[in-house]
Amino acid sequence: MSTVVERQIPGRYARLMTSLLRGTLRLDVWVNRLYPTDFNPLYYTGGLSNLFLFTLVLSGIFLFFYYDASLGEAFASVQYITDGVPYGGIVRGVHRYAADGFIVGILLHLLRNWFTDRHLFARDNPWISGMFLLLFGGFIGFTGYQLVWDERAQLLTSMFVAMLRSIPAAGATLTRLFIGGLGISDGTLVRILFLHIGPATALYAFLWWHYVRLRHPKIWPPGVWVLFCVGLVFLLAGAVPVTREAIPAATPAARPTSFPMDIFFLIPFWLLNFLPAGVVVLLLVSLFVGGLVIPYLSRRETPTEMGVRHSGVAQVIDGNCTGCELCYYDCPYNAIVMVPSPGPGLSKAAANRSLLAVVIESRCVECGICIGACPFEALELPKFLERDVLRQVAEAVQA
Amino acid sequence: MRTVYVMGVVLLSALSLLFALGIIYGEATDRWFLGGGSVGALLIAYSFIVLLLRKMGMTGPRKTER
Repeated sequence: MSTVVERQIPGRYARLMTSLLRGTLRLDVWVNRLYPTDFNPLYYTGGLSNLFLFTLVLSGIFLFFYYDASLGEAFASVQYITDGVPYGGIVRGVHRYAADGFIVGILLHLLRNWFTDRHLFARDNPWISGMFLLLFGGFIGFTGYQLVWDERAQLLTSMFVAMLRSIPAAGATLTRLFIGGLGISDGTLVRILFLHIGPATALYAFLWWHYVRLRHPKIWPPGVWVLFCVGLVFLLAGAVPVTREAIPAATPAARPTSFPMDIFFLIPFWLLNFLPAGVVVLLLVSLFVGGLVIPYLSRRETPTEMGVRHSGVAQVIDGNCTGCELCYYDCPYNAIVMVPSPGPGLSKAAANRSLLAVVIESRCVECGICIGACPFEALELPKFLERDVLRQVAEAVQA
Repeated sequence: MRTVYVMGVVLLSALSLLFALGIIYGEATDRWFLGGGSVGALLIAYSFIVLLLRKMGMTGPRKTER
């Protein structure tokens, strides 16, 4: 019985993923009717997220110059940015709406790559670094709400402290680290400011990890979408100012019980209405860990089933390599580098070469793209030679 | 269809001029939200102009898309 169930679950999952893949591709086709294919925004969800992150960094630097991280002055400094600094309210709005755009872009990017299977095998590194980008992005957004130090920030801080305290063994230490002592003080806001800017800097380290094995990542969207997205955050900042939510400054006497909700960053705190703090923490940790293992648990085909995954790391046939760099440019995994050639090749075409291709074994996924890229027969997959392919073709024809 | 695109570009250009005036008016009267919002509207209008020019074939695809 259990064997039947075990077989059914992957079957259902595979069918669900296949229907999601078809839906995603249909959506691509539909959007391609509206836009030229090189303008299709669905192809640039990662680039759009990066654009919003860049906007966040620039507007954040502007806001940082005016922000005063102390209990008495934080709220007043934010008010001054909004009302006293020329276009300060606009920059604050741009920062806020770009943060929403960043999270929306990341979620679209995640779903698209999940549904189209672009998180498996060698793409697990971008997936895992992407999960960290989402986690850090969410946390940075939450600390951003705290920096304003209004009644919402005050309530969020007490709720977050309750969540930290619910963590077994480490809860008390984490709480002390977060608030900087036994109670909330000026030091608390300095720490929150650090927790806002520090992880934001770490995002770029994760982005490096995200891109390191991709040969041609689409880092930026096309110009038309840069104009549209930057325009949209400016338009929203002007038309729907962030100051519309008139929340009073935090005071020791205030006992806020509710705040305006943000569905992108404050969902965990909304869950505290229904669940104990410990359960919410457990849920968040489970979601994150579950996200990390998706590339390893959700394969529709195992490497053995795919059959072509054991062809061996690509090898350069030294005598034939002309140093033309075609394989270097075509490898999608950055697994080939060009080094100065120690000597001439054996073939006539390779006699005057100045460069030699070298395969980085740890990056090679044995896909064979470099074999197709090389016109000089200077690369091979050692366990999948041309004669093996010809033999398999002959066997297939005979069968 | 080309006539529709041309009319779209002309309309968006006129709107862009209006938004540019909004920027100047916002700056002159210290209505920063109006000025900033107009910047956004102007950029969005530009983005649609670029899109229409591309659909008309006046700007080409990227080198890699050819």
